[in-house]
Amino acid sequence: MRKVRSAIVRRPASVVRRSRTGLLVFAAWLVLAAPAAATEAETFIRETADRVFAAYAVPVTDEDRAGVFRDVLSTTFELKTIARFTLGRYWRVASAAQRKEYRRLFEDFLVLAYANRFRDLAGVKLRVTGARMINKRDWLVQSEIGADGTRPPIRIGWRVRQAGAGLRIVDVIVDGISMSVTQRDQFAAAIHAAGGKVEGLLAMLREKTGTPE
Amino acid sequence: MRRALRNGLARAVVALLCAGVVGPVGCATAPPAGDPESREAFERANDPLEPFNRVVFVANIVADRFVLKPVAYVYKEAVPAPIRDMVSNFLHNLRSPVILLNALLQGDIDHAGTTVLRFSVNSTLGFAGIVDLAGEFGIVRRDEDFGQTLAVWGVGEGPYLMLPLLGPSNARDAVGRAADYFSDPLTYLGYEKFGYSRFGAKIIDVRARNYDLLNDVERTSVDFYATIRSLYGQNRRDAIANGAEAGLPPLPDIPGEEDDFEDEEGQERDRPPTG
Repeated sequence: MRKVRSAIVRRPASVVRRSRTGLLVFAAWLVLAAPAAATEAETFIRETADRVFAAYAVPVTDEDRAGVFRDVLSTTFELKTIARFTLGRYWRVASAAQRKEYRRLFEDFLVLAYANRFRDLAGVKLRVTGARMINKRDWLVQSEIGADGTRPPIRIGWRVRQAGAGLRIVDVIVDGISMSVTQRDQFAAAIHAAGGKVEGLLAMLREKTGTPE
Repeated sequence: MRRALRNGLARAVVALLCAGVVGPVGCATAPPAGDPESREAFERANDPLEPFNRVVFVANIVADRFVLKPVAYVYKEAVPAPIRDMVSNFLHNLRSPVILLNALLQGDIDHAGTTVLRFSVNSTLGFAGIVDLAGEFGIVRRDEDFGQTLAVWGVGEGPYLMLPLLGPSNARDAVGRAADYFSDPLTYLGYEKFGYSRFGAKIIDVRARNYDLLNDVERTSVDFYATIRSLYGQNRRDAIANGAEAGLPPLPDIPGEEDDFEDEEGQERDRPPTG
């Protein structure tokens, strides 16, 4: 009887000890791994930016720029996640065919919207200022450009996460303005105006991107 | 209790506006409580006066196309960039008293000091403010206004408003604009012409600086009105937080791959048909 009780009493203690060891290991992992991952995320953004700015530095046509931008988009952005986010609550009511078409149109739309917006950035150097974890999945890499003038520099935040093969960008935040949020908000308004029909947005995106139905 | 009172007040104001001012156009009706997702979207847009706002927006666009935009274009093309920068600097320097007041009201002694320093340096060595000398030394500008002060004090933004000629705003920021006007010592100089010229110059300066950006945004919007509304809200939140990425930027949760309903081939897996 006594033996049994002591066994019962002892077991929780060992569980506590084991979990404490686990906690220590976890804490050590946090301390050691976090800076490494932060550096990794920072390096990823630095390399991506260098690649884009270098490509934009040579005088190119708008079409060339669109090509470069599309290439960067497909290799460094987690487009599936972004597409889903920007469709918001309408993702669930969209049919499989609509989702598929939306993804394709959304990518074309991004190229159209942003490929040439940054044409003045040719030769600009992006300065990565830090990175921190914002939730269990995502890093926010902070950076700035154009700090040479008297104006405050433009702040660019890159929301980065580990996805499959490597790191991928899920949002870009310029001076506090999130690209994903902006697109989600205007898409929601467009669908709402079309009576809650996703097809309404798809039609507008087809028209904008010049895609036949 | 205070919150309930504030919400009640806001609702009463909206109801009054809907009934009186915007009578013929009407207001957006809130979705029923039984539809929480539509309700959330409605609240996020924060635009109960949307039908009225859209009418004002169209009027603003027309005024922009025929008056402001051409003027800004000529200004941008005819006046060299360094001169335009001087105009910009001069106008910003004139705002110093209002910035100082609001920094103090927000309890930001640091920024109040910075504002005094910038104003003294730029008004003297910077030739009455046309050269941002303090900025050259790394003491960069940061705008403050009474709308931001109210936000720091905990006042909510109130419904989104599209103001005639003045552009996007909300109830709080519209009150802020009026307060800024009346708290500005330059308002009481007694030179009416100075006030008008300053106002005109400011509008042209801002429009010219954002010329390409606005063109791009309009070209690439499926709903220009909604895009402007979203940009305004995000921009104000950033200004209120003083661009502090020390405070987390309001990033929404972006669903990850594991929450996805689809696998690689885009096949439906475990989703009940909803539409």
